[in-house]
Amino acid sequence: MPGERREGTDHPHHEWSPITTRGKLSWPNGAKVALCVIITLEHTEWEIPEDAYSADQAGGLGMRPFPDYPRFSHREYGHRVGIFRVLDALDRLGIKSTVAMDTQTAEAYPYLVKHCQDRGCEIIAHGVSGTQMISSLMSEESESIFIRSSIEAMTKATGKTPRGWFGTDYGESNRTPDLLRRAGVDYVCDWVNDEQPYPMRDGLTALPTMLEMDDLFTMSTRRVTVERYTQSIVEGFDVMYQDGAQNGRLMTINLHPWLTGQPFRIGFLEDALGHIMGHDAVWTATGSEIVDWFNNNPPT
Amino acid sequence: MSLPPHRVDYNPIIERPPIKWPNGERVALWIAPNVEHYEYMPIQYGPRNPWPRTPYPDVQQYSYRDYGNRVGFWRMLEVLDQYKIRSCVSLNLAVLEHFPEIRKAMIDRDWDYMTHGIYNTRYLYAYTEPEEREFYRDNIETVKKYTGKKLNGMLGPAISGTIRTPDLMAEAGLTYHTDWMHDDQPVPINVASDNKLISVPYSIELNDSPLFRVNYEAEYFADICKRQFDQLYKEGADSGRVMCIALHPFLIGQPHRIKYLDDILSHITSHSDVWMTTADDITEYYLANYYDQAVEDSKKYKV
Repeated sequence: MPGERREGTDHPHHEWSPITTRGKLSWPNGAKVALCVIITLEHTEWEIPEDAYSADQAGGLGMRPFPDYPRFSHREYGHRVGIFRVLDALDRLGIKSTVAMDTQTAEAYPYLVKHCQDRGCEIIAHGVSGTQMISSLMSEESESIFIRSSIEAMTKATGKTPRGWFGTDYGESNRTPDLLRRAGVDYVCDWVNDEQPYPMRDGLTALPTMLEMDDLFTMSTRRVTVERYTQSIVEGFDVMYQDGAQNGRLMTINLHPWLTGQPFRIGFLEDALGHIMGHDAVWTATGSEIVDWFNNNPPT
Repeated sequence: MSLPPHRVDYNPIIERPPIKWPNGERVALWIAPNVEHYEYMPIQYGPRNPWPRTPYPDVQQYSYRDYGNRVGFWRMLEVLDQYKIRSCVSLNLAVLEHFPEIRKAMIDRDWDYMTHGIYNTRYLYAYTEPEEREFYRDNIETVKKYTGKKLNGMLGPAISGTIRTPDLMAEAGLTYHTDWMHDDQPVPINVASDNKLISVPYSIELNDSPLFRVNYEAEYFADICKRQFDQLYKEGADSGRVMCIALHPFLIGQPHRIKYLDDILSHITSHSDVWMTTADDITEYYLANYYDQAVEDSKKYKV
């Protein structure tokens, strides 16, 4: 619906709230910044179903006609090779991770599910594949089925109900937050509009991601070099660490293993995250831990 | 298990039995110059338009690439020679017919030939099965005729293909396909016949073409090539890795870029335990020593 010219948001999903008017959010042990690293493990389909909506995909050489061997296989690199480099780097630094995994990955590659669980990652739902996103072109019924079947499939594949949802390509319709809540989801990562968690309707919590800290958006869509991307992580963190002394901040970094897990990129990432972890007042946590803390310790 | 198109079985790199290269090298490194020819007045066949910028001819883009054969190739060659690199050329085979001096330069250096199709303006997407079969026959015959060598591998023309490509390549007796960007080691590709086909890591990351087409420059290219090498060299102590650097003479052979190629090769060749090789030799070695083991090992991950 078009915006109505009145105070507040032009949608019903959450309230207007400038960060300067909020109470103080205190993280555990006086941390100034909560660091949430999300790893997106998604399968790029060989053939995209005709009724699926897929945003223009960035990276590499751009879309080629079918069959696109290089695009398809480039993304598969993340599942075969890149993920382990990323997890090794995070482990060396003692950083917890949250893995947004689609159902095609989870069902075809149970090894990866178990591997991520064994390493203490929280696994959250990520739809069906990296090539099918939620959009308003879906009927309410088909969107509801899409969400519920994704969650059921992830529950079956991981042995527990995923608490978080991160839509493929941040895809939502104007119904999605409500449908997620009705499907039992506790938090959603699609909204990139804040540096703190915030409440959405009916008990759903937004765990905001930072679009410019998304490796795919910055390095592929915007074609920023890996050196500059990781420099932005460092510089962004330094400002948030300062701001976090007054009011706790959340830094969310979304990584795609096929991209940042490439041999020449991983060292840059490890250096940047090492800079962050070299600071005392940093809390590294999974999405659920951050959302639970936020809901149990409201800003004062 | 595998996902469609069921060409590749899942196998996480950290769980595989280690690969040892012939003399215990950590990294098998191959240089792939893409020696290409783009037609002045191509006929569009299939979904991709070779010169989408203008009605044909597109003199700017045509001659930009032709610069590679007239000038850039020779400048690139000087640097490759300086480091005694025996390249595995990704070759539009019509170059063998059009440009005898380039043909001779490659033959004199005993390069290996990986076909990159006949022209880089003739894509495979729309080929019927008989057309594609004839394509491989033509490719194999052309390489044999002009170089005396057996053709073993392909990077699809402008990295194009059909769903039948691996099957028809294997049927024709080819053994490696480099359109797959999915790994740092060779990987068996499932095909219809009993013939063996593998992927050998090529790169669309360490590749001057996608980089220099947009806002990256040669300093960045050199930096990421050296970084890639350093990381794979470290990992290769446990299990051998493959690294490929893909070049295009019309890009890397520009005067402002050439010193960065020197910089890359200087860094790499200053290390011991590097197998400076070709995709053909990697394939031969992998098929003889690791193919069967890899097929067997992947069975663990079938769902």
